[in-house]
Amino acid sequence: MNPDLPEEAVALRASADAAFAALGSVDAARRAEEDPGVRSGEVLSTLRELGLDDLDPRLDAITLAAAAALCEAAGRVALPSPVAAMLVRDQQGRPTAVVPDRTSRVDHGDLLPEWRVGTLDGRGGVAVAGGIRLGTRLGPFVTDLELTDDLVAPPLSDVLLQLTLTCWTVLGTVDRAVELAVDHVAGRVQFGKPLSAFQSVQFQLADAAVAVAGLRELAAFTLWRLDVAGADARADVLALRLHALEVARSVLRTCQQLHGAAGVCDEYDISVLTRMVQPALRLPCGVERAASALVAAIDADGFDGLFLHGTAGR
Amino acid sequence: MDFDLGEQATDLRIQLRALIAAHIDDDFLGAFTDDPADLDVAQTFCRTLADAGLLTIAWPVEYGGGGGSVWDQTVVREEMWAHHEPRGAQYMGLNWVGPAIMAHGTEEQKRRHLPPIAAGRVIWCQGFSEPEAGSDLASLRTRAEPDGDSWRITGQKIWTSYASMAQWCIIAARVGSGTRHEGITMFLVAMDAPGITVRPIRSMLGPHHLNEVFFDEMSTGADAVLGQVGGGWSVIRTALAHERVGIARYARCERLLSELGRAMAPHWSELPPSLHTAWARALVQVRVARLLAYRTVHAQSAGEVPDVAASTARIAVTQCDQSVAEVLFAALDDECLEAGSTAPLHGAVEDHWRYAQAATVASGTIEVQRMIVAKALLAGARS
Repeated sequence: MNPDLPEEAVALRASADAAFAALGSVDAARRAEEDPGVRSGEVLSTLRELGLDDLDPRLDAITLAAAAALCEAAGRVALPSPVAAMLVRDQQGRPTAVVPDRTSRVDHGDLLPEWRVGTLDGRGGVAVAGGIRLGTRLGPFVTDLELTDDLVAPPLSDVLLQLTLTCWTVLGTVDRAVELAVDHVAGRVQFGKPLSAFQSVQFQLADAAVAVAGLRELAAFTLWRLDVAGADARADVLALRLHALEVARSVLRTCQQLHGAAGVCDEYDISVLTRMVQPALRLPCGVERAASALVAAIDADGFDGLFLHGTAGR
Repeated sequence: MDFDLGEQATDLRIQLRALIAAHIDDDFLGAFTDDPADLDVAQTFCRTLADAGLLTIAWPVEYGGGGGSVWDQTVVREEMWAHHEPRGAQYMGLNWVGPAIMAHGTEEQKRRHLPPIAAGRVIWCQGFSEPEAGSDLASLRTRAEPDGDSWRITGQKIWTSYASMAQWCIIAARVGSGTRHEGITMFLVAMDAPGITVRPIRSMLGPHHLNEVFFDEMSTGADAVLGQVGGGWSVIRTALAHERVGIARYARCERLLSELGRAMAPHWSELPPSLHTAWARALVQVRVARLLAYRTVHAQSAGEVPDVAASTARIAVTQCDQSVAEVLFAALDDECLEAGSTAPLHGAVEDHWRYAQAATVASGTIEVQRMIVAKALLAGARS
């Protein structure tokens, strides 16, 4: 029993943190909103220097953890790049996106010419970037892809892997959000004392930190389950997705609130982080559909634990 | 990264479940029910565990233990709590009174107290909280005055679990005129000594859980002091560190969630979808709570004193206990108020709900845990 990420993953996360800081941290996302070309330029170059093209999370447990750590670092700065999708490439080098049932709506879908897309229920194929970017505040780089006539869906294990790595990106975002909130309330003085002196503020921070700590453990556990069970880890991955969405909703809300009006101002990182993570939280499905999918998966496959669960019980 | 507790843990779990299946009835809901026979079941089961070398599996070999790892201890904790703590009140002696005596006791105290705990033949209680000293334990007022070679203890303790049946009590009292942590001293006192009065407090938990204990110039010898006179706070810290990971509440939550579907069949599939998703969410919450508890155990196994991790886990575990109680009640609907062996799941859900109400208070309130977590967070603030 060892819940820690392997050293290699921790080292890659540190390198990525430094490299993303050199890009200006969250400023890279701000620049990309002004000039979407930033994503295919300096951001992609930085990822390549970090070894993106040589990192195959399907190789072994260590590389899997390293990929997760890279996603976490990306999430900490809302890196404007589909890192999780690009880490799960097919043999032709196409990134894998998990898409909703109705549309092939993908974050940064315009960034690469061809994608491999799959739904949670096993449909999918190859898609090309044809549509235009949504360009909205909550989905600046979300693009609708068009399915080609190649309808070979990605394997379930790749779909699960992409969802898991995306959750690591969310983990990075919420972890950073708590740090930002801690720094803000420690520095902001009202009623003659820092906001952090108020116990109501302390308790909100504590609850947020506990939520993030729990998500971190679950994310690591799910990596392990993916490693040992592959496609049989469907319920585990859906559990992580459900939990990541719920933690993100409550933690980001708390951290924005603790920033006061600054929480919705884009010159503060918390606002940009909250906006940029929305596509990951809403695509391919939001929290209630994730919960329904989890119920079905537990029923069919069971749920690893101390006791048997579901009709298949494991 | 590996979340498998290993073959040894699996074997231990199987062994414990077999013993429970052989000695504990399916409808056992713990030692402290309205049926006094349940107390006897627990006392007998402790001796069964002791005979099998499992009661003190995690104690060092030199004190008659099995020298097991913190992970063995974790498996025992999980299986016992999942099956309604068939050790009854004795978990307290095993989990931390014994270890506190090992860490701070004299050779004579160790010889006297450890063997009966290891044999499953003694019940301990702890005299910490007072009417004016709950979360703020350092404000305790019970006094110990020197009286020749002995001590006289006067004061009142409250919420003292098992005081009505315990043979011994580990009590915190103040020596001298110090304030806060100064002067706090731990004593090991026999509960049948003159000058001790126990008054049960009725509660929704059931009998024996809560008592008031009055000490009226109770006399005890110099050999009753555990550790240094005035050094009680460090003993308490040792004790609380053990207690904060002490109860694997998530294990019972998971067992009840597991059994719910089978118990409700064939109606389970007809429940509203929102109850199914609530059930799945509860399973995820239970898993998260378990993993946070494992994080604390992992730190302990590395020799660390994981205060913040322990508080983090406790917040998650106790909240999990309460939200699972609500999910179970929502699923049972109008049957949830029934109790006893004719109720759904032999009354285990009704029992769990009542116990869960105290989860965020017992052995350190959730507010105190939040203060610990927040303090650590703010210590790292950049501003």
